[in-house]
Amino acid sequence: MDQGPPLLRVQGLTIAFPGDGAPVEAVRDVSFDIARGETVAMVGESGSGKSVTALSLARLLPSPPAEFRSGKILFDGRDVFALAPPELRSLRGGGIAYVFQEPGTSLNPVFRVDSQIAEAIRLHRPGVTDIDAEIVRSLDLVGIRDPALRMRDYPHQLSGGMQQRVMIAMALACQPKLLVADEPTTALDVTIQKQVMDLLKELRSRLAMTILLITHNFGIVSDFADRVLVMYRGRIVEQGPTRSVLRDPRHPYTRALIDCIPRLGAKPGRLKTIDHAAIQAALPHV
Amino acid sequence: MEGTLTPSPLARDRWRRFRRIPRAHRSLWILGGAFVLSLFSDLIANDRPLYLAYGGRHFFPAFKFYPETSFGGRYGTEPDYHALRESPAFRAGRGWMLFPPIPYGPIRSNLDRPDPPPHAPSWGHWLGTDSIGRDVLSRLIHGFRVCMLFALALVAVSAVLGIVIGGVQGYAGGRVDITLQRLIEIWAALPFLYVLILLGSIYGRSFSILLCVTAAFQWIGLSYYMRGEFYRLRDQTFVVASRALGAGHGRIIFQQILPNALGPVITILPFTLIAGIGTLTALDFLGFGLPPPSPSWGELLQQGLKQLYCPWIAFSAVAALFTTLMLASFIGEGVREVFDPRSKSRYD
Amino acid sequence: MSDTPLIEVRDLQVHFPVLAGVLRRPAGAVRAVDGVSFAIPRGITMGLVGESGSGKTTLGRAILNLLRVTGGRVRFEGRDITNLSAGEARPLRRRMQAIFQDPFNSLNPRLTIAQIVGEALEIHFPKMRRSERRDEVARLLGIVGLEPSHLDRYPHEFSGGQRQRIGIARALAVKPDFIVCDEPVSALDVSVQAQIINLLQDLQDEFGLTYLFIAHDLAVVEHISDHVLVMYQGKIVESAAADELYRTPSHDYTRRLLDAVPTIA
Repeated sequence: MDQGPPLLRVQGLTIAFPGDGAPVEAVRDVSFDIARGETVAMVGESGSGKSVTALSLARLLPSPPAEFRSGKILFDGRDVFALAPPELRSLRGGGIAYVFQEPGTSLNPVFRVDSQIAEAIRLHRPGVTDIDAEIVRSLDLVGIRDPALRMRDYPHQLSGGMQQRVMIAMALACQPKLLVADEPTTALDVTIQKQVMDLLKELRSRLAMTILLITHNFGIVSDFADRVLVMYRGRIVEQGPTRSVLRDPRHPYTRALIDCIPRLGAKPGRLKTIDHAAIQAALPHV
Repeated sequence: MEGTLTPSPLARDRWRRFRRIPRAHRSLWILGGAFVLSLFSDLIANDRPLYLAYGGRHFFPAFKFYPETSFGGRYGTEPDYHALRESPAFRAGRGWMLFPPIPYGPIRSNLDRPDPPPHAPSWGHWLGTDSIGRDVLSRLIHGFRVCMLFALALVAVSAVLGIVIGGVQGYAGGRVDITLQRLIEIWAALPFLYVLILLGSIYGRSFSILLCVTAAFQWIGLSYYMRGEFYRLRDQTFVVASRALGAGHGRIIFQQILPNALGPVITILPFTLIAGIGTLTALDFLGFGLPPPSPSWGELLQQGLKQLYCPWIAFSAVAALFTTLMLASFIGEGVREVFDPRSKSRYD
Repeated sequence: MSDTPLIEVRDLQVHFPVLAGVLRRPAGAVRAVDGVSFAIPRGITMGLVGESGSGKTTLGRAILNLLRVTGGRVRFEGRDITNLSAGEARPLRRRMQAIFQDPFNSLNPRLTIAQIVGEALEIHFPKMRRSERRDEVARLLGIVGLEPSHLDRYPHEFSGGQRQRIGIARALAVKPDFIVCDEPVSALDVSVQAQIINLLQDLQDEFGLTYLFIAHDLAVVEHISDHVLVMYQGKIVESAAADELYRTPSHDYTRRLLDAVPTIA
């Protein structure tokens, strides 16, 4: 891992959304760093604020309704909130690229795969002259066979797993410094899930990428991430190296989240569930 | 089923959001208020008095027909109340009458003045008179009522037709859908104006013929939306769930699908209203609309065009039409925004 | 009780026509379910795993008489229930119910919880008074772990897990014997998933229910099921007791599925 300042530093980030009465803080005082070349997993249930945090990194949250209450996001040493519109555009894709949960809706159905990747390359790497070659290279990178042929396909002609590979290829074509994968496998079949995770693993080692993986499932974290952040109700309740968090979770929520996953070959019986009241009691009150 | 008549929180929430758009909300009140007032146009602009006292008895000519003989005249016809007021016999009988604020009906020509019509605006006729001496303001007010009634009836009829036919197509799908779709395409290809002229020449021009013919073409656009919505919704899991519970077609259509399908229809309705007003005015302007002497904005526009040297006629009609269409557009805009609140969120 | 299984499926086929050309003539067929046979004894949970497009949802809906079967037979308590008309199927709906995957899509957003759960009661017990129905719905909500105060709320006011509980209450309303659970936990967070699975098991113990549990996650299926069917491209490629399947998978596809289950090292 590189030394020096982290690639991403989030400090005291608080984001609120208008609620029924008073605004609701979806993210509360969240701070974390991601070093260059590191893979960090952010684990939490829906509503824990993990996706909101991830989207806010490149200011992708619509505002209004989102309201940035406080905090700082420093990417590559620069304050994301202070960026001028052109700088912000180059940050998106070029600095931070995203892969989302639903590959089917993330790709524009009326354009062929190649024109969508080409757009990304043109935007972020104006120096590239042979765009077609670059498209083939990026599709090849994500393990799509016959890339020169497949790049002429429309998104609906591809399976869900293939679509997600295209999304990853598109994200990588911009040569981002940080790849944010927001539940990249949740919408996919288990066998495809594994393929996509294997692909990300391989790409990470080949390209020395920095990855932020957002997920609700501890299962896919264990052999993937260097470090884990556990989010619960807008806060980070625990963070640390994956191994030690999994082996010796300190926060009751983390323990509960690990325990409730059904395991193959385990004795049948009741699954453990999360006792929210107990966890609430364990949370520091603000 | 319990509670279907009370508005859902979604509907209440939408109404709340609508109220927060001042332009649309105010437009709704103004146009709605004007329409309700126009229902009482006979009390606002009429050449029959609201109240008449004669020979110790009370009369209400605005509401009831009285023959001339009731007031000492000779004939069994309705008296000209303006002339009656001035007649010596009426005065001798200590007659007294109260006219509405605008003492002219939309049909009666005021030919009492020495100069020939049209008359420029004056104290007697606030917006002047038209080429045969009828009060322009009175015709505007009565014309507004006709116009709104026509447009609202058009909205209602075409909404029902569009929902039913589009819904059947989308719900049944397959052969029913294709057959109906082809028939609709043939129907839509008929020239509207020819059909109108044809039917008008057979049955005579009237409000109901005009409404039927216009509605017969107006629902088509709406039915496309409904068809799409029903297609989308009939495969939703909650519809499958309802079928799995043993629900019949009626229950599925009316309880499960229809309430969810109405959104796009409601956003179109204000614009159908605009189309209705526009159509009636255009037809009247061309002379294919309501038979004369019905009060109508299109007919006023036509007169204004012919008599450009009397700008008050064209100006009044254009101003009235413009204001009405603008108010309806503001309402439509507001409704659309309520159904798509995301148009307000901002990305940077 | 006799040896007749509750559900028996014989050589079941469901084909969907592929329409082509301007005239939309059938040009071929997708064999969504292609000759499937199995039996579900009373009181057990039959797991059905397979990836999306393998035909498992189609199979579930074919058993429930929610779509037309191309060939083969479905028997319920020995009685042939293949391709019944809507009227003939209605009494059957009281015995067989369904729980669906997407808790956001399976509840009508325009109806209250009382209306959604009460719909089955309205259909099958039209003579029931409104107050009785409300009481019954409140009781059902209690069974699935919700509050009677939720009666007049709308689906959007609930979380994914709560909505799935509402879906379960709706299925339970008619006191069925058999429930097809079509990916009931796939759209849920892992922690909520565990609650719903526990709830389904409790309900099975309490009411003696029989489940066909459809999912793509083998770990979940293995946990809840007594017996597991593995479906691949419209066919059942493996059928084994749950623990046996895990220990000695015979089909290559089953091995791939097992291999793909994420494990916490």
